[in-house]
Amino acid sequence: MSLFLHYLSMPYLLEGIELTLEVTALGLGGGLILGLILAGMQLSRFWVLAAIARAYTVIFRGTPLILQMVFAYDALPHIGIKLPAVLAAGLALACNEAPFIAEMLRAGVLGVDRGQVTAGQALGMTPRVLMWRVIAPQAIRTMIPAFGNEAVSALKNSSLASVVAVQELTLRSTQLASSTFDFFSIFFASGLLYLVLTFAISVIQLFVEWLLDLDRAKSLTRRRKRKFADYLPWRRVDLTTKLELTEATVADPEPVQTEPADTPPLALTREERTRRAATIARNNIAVETKDLTKSYGAQKVLGGLDLTVRVGEVVALLGPSGSGKSTLLRCINHLESWDGGTVRVGGRRLGFDDDGKLLSPRAIANERATVGVGMVFQQFNLFAHLSAKENVAGPLRWVHGMTRIDADRRATELLDRVGLSHRADALPRHLSGGQQQRVAIARALAPNPSVLLLDEPTSALDPELVNEVLEVIRRLAIDDGLTMIISTHQIRFADEVADRVAFLSGGAIIEEGPAHEVLSNPRNPLTARFLSVMETDKTPEAVR
Amino acid sequence: MERRVLPQTQGMSRALPWRKIALGATIAVGMVAAAPLSAQAAAPAACAALQAKYPDWKGKTLVNAINPHTPGYETIDPKDPNNYIGFDIDLGEAIGECLGFKLTYKPVTFAALLTTLAAGQADIVISDIYATKERAKAADFITYSKVFDGVLVAKGNPKGINGINISMCGSAAAENTGYVEVPLIQALIPECKKAGKAEPTIQLYDNNANCIQAILAGRADTYVNDVNTVDSAVKAYPDKLEKAIAVTIPYSVGIAVPKDKPKFRDAVLAALIEVQKAGTHMELLKKWELDVNNFKEPDILTAD
Repeated sequence: MSLFLHYLSMPYLLEGIELTLEVTALGLGGGLILGLILAGMQLSRFWVLAAIARAYTVIFRGTPLILQMVFAYDALPHIGIKLPAVLAAGLALACNEAPFIAEMLRAGVLGVDRGQVTAGQALGMTPRVLMWRVIAPQAIRTMIPAFGNEAVSALKNSSLASVVAVQELTLRSTQLASSTFDFFSIFFASGLLYLVLTFAISVIQLFVEWLLDLDRAKSLTRRRKRKFADYLPWRRVDLTTKLELTEATVADPEPVQTEPADTPPLALTREERTRRAATIARNNIAVETKDLTKSYGAQKVLGGLDLTVRVGEVVALLGPSGSGKSTLLRCINHLESWDGGTVRVGGRRLGFDDDGKLLSPRAIANERATVGVGMVFQQFNLFAHLSAKENVAGPLRWVHGMTRIDADRRATELLDRVGLSHRADALPRHLSGGQQQRVAIARALAPNPSVLLLDEPTSALDPELVNEVLEVIRRLAIDDGLTMIISTHQIRFADEVADRVAFLSGGAIIEEGPAHEVLSNPRNPLTARFLSVMETDKTPEAVR
Repeated sequence: MERRVLPQTQGMSRALPWRKIALGATIAVGMVAAAPLSAQAAAPAACAALQAKYPDWKGKTLVNAINPHTPGYETIDPKDPNNYIGFDIDLGEAIGECLGFKLTYKPVTFAALLTTLAAGQADIVISDIYATKERAKAADFITYSKVFDGVLVAKGNPKGINGINISMCGSAAAENTGYVEVPLIQALIPECKKAGKAEPTIQLYDNNANCIQAILAGRADTYVNDVNTVDSAVKAYPDKLEKAIAVTIPYSVGIAVPKDKPKFRDAVLAALIEVQKAGTHMELLKKWELDVNNFKEPDILTAD
């Protein structure tokens, strides 16, 4: 025991820790930089870069670290690169860590919900802003445990530097054992030293997890804030699912919907509709698609689709699933490419330059922001790491260059308009589906879009939550005169709100016309059959 | 003996009051004077002549790659682990002193000694390495010691091993990767087959200590290596180990130098001759309690 303590406190061994940490730091730091580059190359749209990164990964992940160490130390000098031992070991460790870190980064990035990425694109975020503001903050949070793993493994792997004469802890231990024959005490002592080091990494990992925990500070004003101690393994606090929190927040009093007394009746009378139709007919064209075609492999999704929407007009797209409604909407703001035909928004071919050449993703993003096409998704696609208010205000700052004060003011105003000012600081996962969709609408409206595209905005909602969302959309149509294209299964809502409905089947519009006329008196047998099915399926509470 | 100065001893002296420093200095001077031997014993005139003839290494600090797991030849100093001690260390420093260079040490596995030298990560290897024609393909050798091997076995020699012969059939031999004993034991395989006995197996380890541990743990039956190494293992574990026999191996121990530096090789050879002439070599053998019969006049061994 005293021998063990003697070796445990021996300066010779403790100094070895310094070199162990040096090699580890070089390995992790270098590995992180290299890993970032590799991950970037693999995720890039240029296949050559991806192929090179892949090849690197195959080589460095597929060969033993000990060989790489010896290579860096003994083989590189033959081509004129003679590195000091610590640098050679650090280089080998970095090269070895890089592919692992790259895969972690890639998994983190790919793990971020695609819907949020699409939503970011629709808001006009350039790939860079998207990565920095939406993907990275979420990816990093999910990657911390893996990073902790990697750091521990790098620390242990640094012991292999002993084969290239780096006087780190392991090499010192073996030499000491050779000269004193005190194997047990020495290896126990150095083992304990390694344990102390890896334990320290674990503590740092937990601390960072706690630091980045979105629930640490946000929105839990009445509830106990999450403390660092909650991360200790023997504490049984649920760190992942937020059921408890959701329940807690559901109890928040929803302020009585301020229904101003002077609001005009929501359904329009026949005369009003006629007058409205006449006005719209004189308006400019907001959106126009001509002979739009698109196939996924052999499957045709859009087959020569023509659609014209005028400023101030509300068009409802109806049709069975797979009829091309969503694809059409996504083509309008160029979230998807198409095979043939043209799409014009406000007279411009979004995503093409004057010669009809496709723009870069960055340029398309900028154009989306300028032209102003807002989009609301079936799955809400709120940025999960941002509060309701930040979801609205963030894009205003990052895409439209607003100051924080202006963006916050605009966000508050819009949240108030969708009746959610009391939930401004809540994270999306603490909101009900209907609330989330209302925030999503506020977010889409924030930059004052010229057209708002709504892709089945109520299909993912529980029946009792549908109305609160439809109500918001109805106001936008009738009060604000916003140009909207809505794909929906809510027939009566379409009847009340839309100026015109277009019925899609097999990627083409098979019938369109004034909403009430088509819905009550369909001419195409497919439309008639679809409507009758919808009528029998209709959930009574869906429309009031 | 000149050796790497410890950072912490430097720091310590700074903290001492001046009187203690004076006292310490006196003691240190006394110790240096009383040191049993030093390279100064080599004829200063001859060494001065050598330094004039081979001026390239004067005042330089060279790197000596060693496998510091061989007590008596090269290990770290248990009392001061930042220093290396042993016969090879002293001999190298005596040669260095004669030619005017100092040495720092790079601890590597035995198998990596010559690759480290070939990669230019070390300038010289003085680490109880046997000079063979095979190894001379990787480095030039200046031989300086005869080889006597000891056969280390567990106390009582349960397998009755009495040399590198068919008494080893069916036993497990621990050896270091790259040791010359490996092919000698491998050569027994056909002999054992012919005698209708089981083949000997070889376990390869990274250093001397692991080979000894293999016998202590009952994994291996024997370990054949330099007799002095075997003796020191027996000294460390007198209840568990014994030397079955000493055998002669037709090799010499050599100092390895890069193949592309014949001038350096010649300088080291000349310096070694001077060190031997001054009696230093013999004194060092006695100091480290090695058999004086190991003494050998130097030769050059190259691949051609």
